[in-house]
Amino acid sequence: MSKESQLRALVNQKLIEMGERERLKELLRARLIECGWKDQLKAHCKDVIREKDSEHVTVEDLVAEITPKGRALVPDSVKKELLQRIRAFLAQHATL
Amino acid sequence: RRGSSFSSPVVDPAACSHVNGFKVDNWKQNLRVIYRCFVWSGSAETRKRKAKSCVCHVCGAHLSRLHSCLYCVFFGCFAKKHIHEHAKSKRHNLAIDLLYGGIYCFVCQDYIYDKDMEQIAKEEQRKAWKLQAHLFAPAGIGERYSTWEPTKRELELLQHNPKRRRITTNCTIGLRGLINLGNTCFMNCIVQALTHTPLLRDFFLSDRHKCEMKPNSCLVCEMSQLFQEFYSGHRSPHIPFRLLHLVWTHARHLAGYEQQDAHEFLIAALDVLHRHCKGDDNGKKANNPNHCNCIIDQIFTGGLQSDVTCQVCHGVSTTIDPFWDISLDLPGSSTPFWPLSPGSDGSVVNGESQMSGATTLTDCLRRFTRPEHLGSSAKIKCSGCHSYQESTKQLTMKKLPIVACFHLKRFEHSAKLRRKITTYVSFPLELDMTPFMASSKESRMNGQYQQSMDTLNNDNKYSLFAVVNHQGTLESGHYTTFIRQHKDQWFKCDDAIITKASIKDVLDSEGYLLFYHKQFLEYE
Repeated sequence: MSKESQLRALVNQKLIEMGERERLKELLRARLIECGWKDQLKAHCKDVIREKDSEHVTVEDLVAEITPKGRALVPDSVKKELLQRIRAFLAQHATL
Repeated sequence: RRGSSFSSPVVDPAACSHVNGFKVDNWKQNLRVIYRCFVWSGSAETRKRKAKSCVCHVCGAHLSRLHSCLYCVFFGCFAKKHIHEHAKSKRHNLAIDLLYGGIYCFVCQDYIYDKDMEQIAKEEQRKAWKLQAHLFAPAGIGERYSTWEPTKRELELLQHNPKRRRITTNCTIGLRGLINLGNTCFMNCIVQALTHTPLLRDFFLSDRHKCEMKPNSCLVCEMSQLFQEFYSGHRSPHIPFRLLHLVWTHARHLAGYEQQDAHEFLIAALDVLHRHCKGDDNGKKANNPNHCNCIIDQIFTGGLQSDVTCQVCHGVSTTIDPFWDISLDLPGSSTPFWPLSPGSDGSVVNGESQMSGATTLTDCLRRFTRPEHLGSSAKIKCSGCHSYQESTKQLTMKKLPIVACFHLKRFEHSAKLRRKITTYVSFPLELDMTPFMASSKESRMNGQYQQSMDTLNNDNKYSLFAVVNHQGTLESGHYTTFIRQHKDQWFKCDDAIITKASIKDVLDSEGYLLFYHKQFLEYE
């Protein structure tokens, strides 16, 4: 494992231990609902299912279809806010 | 035969029979442990364990949609198919997504939804959430939103009524004209405002009223019917004869074929609705006017604080009275209307520009909440001085209602004259009530108008959603209403005729009754 991925794993561990990961997840969830991202993607999912037309659309099919759009649609302000929070958290627990 | 041996004869399309191999012995407890430790870790100890152990056993990654095998202790990436390899080689056909808790079946090659497992998942999630609730509060995230799950009865209703109405951003559902039954525009204009009050609409469309009155005598039931009519999709104007009859029955002073005052009708209607709401989850407090929890009170009732200050000992006597509307005096009325307070300099407040001395709603509110010197002929008995002293009285808002209705007192009925004041009063689309709150009173006492620095306080921000206008004179006039649909669309309701209106039309209108809705709602 590269140094960078080692660092990532360490940061992730700390985030989980301190419960910060859950907090960030909930914050992200709230922001994405507020800005309409959830609704947009939900509509996109429905369109994909309709287009596929088959009885068996799997979760995998949907994930493959909507991931690129989902990633692109996240507003910069949300990314900024999350990044700020993570930075603040790391600054606080600088023993890393 | 599909499904487990415990299921009802009806085949559940979301279930798969491959879980049967898992559902043996103490599987429920085992599953709970997995959820608690690796998916929704609520306690510090489980979090620590999760942090340490939840990495892919093949590549060490933690971010590639990690899954845990349900049959043994193995974590593998989903994205890089490490969990798939494990499933194939060990013939362990079930895995759980550590991020969302979904169960994946490798035989079905999709996520499956087993009722029993879903139940366990939900319970564990709720438990973990409760444990962590204290962690989320400071982040300002608040109550967890859980999606609506229909009850058995609701499922039946949905199956028996397959027709669905689709709401798009520019659909006109909820808009419907009202036939004028002979000078009944005073009633029609208020009905339009009420049917477009979002919380009221939601209350009635979700059938929350439980009637305890004789049939055909309850105004709340009739309102409910009215909402059904308005949201039915019918475009022909509705004839509100039943509503009119009920109003005549319960508010005798409004009966007759003459034109009545729309504001009087509003107050009378709210009063009757409030009285008829007895059956709706009021608990034991139904008969106490100060503690009623009916939908009318929840939406419209605010608290007005009156402070009487003795000029001698400066003792303050405070009372708080409930209100459903705020009646504001206008310049040109026979009551003295003070000019703008000394502090202002024509600055923009609440989005109203003070050009050419046009009176604004904010001016009227400032006047309403200014300290008023009660003259020597109106001395109040001071409990501090134990004698009658001169005093000042001041009104402020103690508690703001969810819907604030401002009544511009355009009709003068003094002993000397009866007339209509047609002075234009400009009102904003967005209103911040912070300066008029009891809590902002300190700056008011100094006679200075201070713009609130607290821009983060969203509690006092309101949005305009309906405007009732009166055209004509006291003797012969006509009421119409502008209502807001979706976010930025306005319509003019003139009895049976509904037309599209611009925001400019609305804001340029004279304004008689102004309806504002709180922008942010808090859970109690």
